[in-house]
Amino acid sequence: MPNRIGIALFTCAMLLPFCASAQEINQQRLTNSLGKVAKAAPAIDVELLRQEAAANPEGSVAGLPNWSKLTHVSQIVVEIDFANNSVAIEPQSYRTVGLIADALHHPNLLNYKFLVVGHSSSTGDAKHNLELSQQRADAIREALATTFAISPDRLFAVGVGQEYPIEGKDPTSADNRRVQLFNLGTFRPLKKG
Amino acid sequence: MSIRVRDLGVAMLIAYVAMTSPGRAETISYADAVTKFAADCGKDVKKLCAGLNLGSGRIMDCLQQNAAKVSPTCKSTTADVVTSIKEREAAQSAYFKVCRHDIAQRCRGIKGDGYQLSCLLKTTRMVGDKCNQAITDAGWR
Repeated sequence: MPNRIGIALFTCAMLLPFCASAQEINQQRLTNSLGKVAKAAPAIDVELLRQEAAANPEGSVAGLPNWSKLTHVSQIVVEIDFANNSVAIEPQSYRTVGLIADALHHPNLLNYKFLVVGHSSSTGDAKHNLELSQQRADAIREALATTFAISPDRLFAVGVGQEYPIEGKDPTSADNRRVQLFNLGTFRPLKKG
Repeated sequence: MSIRVRDLGVAMLIAYVAMTSPGRAETISYADAVTKFAADCGKDVKKLCAGLNLGSGRIMDCLQQNAAKVSPTCKSTTADVVTSIKEREAAQSAYFKVCRHDIAQRCRGIKGDGYQLSCLLKTTRMVGDKCNQAITDAGWR
């Protein structure tokens, strides 16, 4: 059984006919979706996100206090395939990681830090899936920081394990390889002109 | 004799157009670079480096260690891709240095890298050639 990452995001649930278009990601869409930053963006503590997810491995994180803050920040869902039973990104998904790198290098996003959220399928043990989703998020973060020279200080990774924003969605379907990216706000003060 | 003159004229025209229009980018995007790598090396990676992940040079090291079994296309593509990525990084760093003066001149008072770039893109005709080329090479036009 393929061990896939990711489940449809709640926005996908509301825009089901548009879910398929999540496949066609390009740099412009990434940069635009991640670049809308409200002046009063909530401060997000990634460690608290991790703790909340760990305390609740089988359930959805959607209602949890710190995770709820993420609904208000710029974000996007992408699809990244992982090899069966491993945390190795499949070569056919290298392009998506490269597109994220292109976006994060762009001046529009240069001053922000980002959170990579990994998901897993619901098959198997919940705690194991939580760990797997964390490792996969870490893998994406590492590829961005090393292969594509994004400063690691700008990147955060957390796994949410199993999650079902869509009721009854087939957990083994190809849709379970979603990765979420969130803009966590300013990384460093804006350079003076 | 007239044919040679005409050829010379055409050559000069081409050279003139090439010199005066904003040049095409000298570097390719990270996405394009790694896509080529995946296309030409994907099979070898899955066969010889199964379970290894992108990042920290692991795949590169693995392909090098298994050089005898790696396809020639993959070998030459790997070298090209490593270079491409480095070149784009260099071009993106260079933009900030090369365009600093143009930003100060054309975009006075504008703060934020994104807004400054946006300003330069709006005033292309008044921005220096070197800065315009730097923007193109960085992939930000």
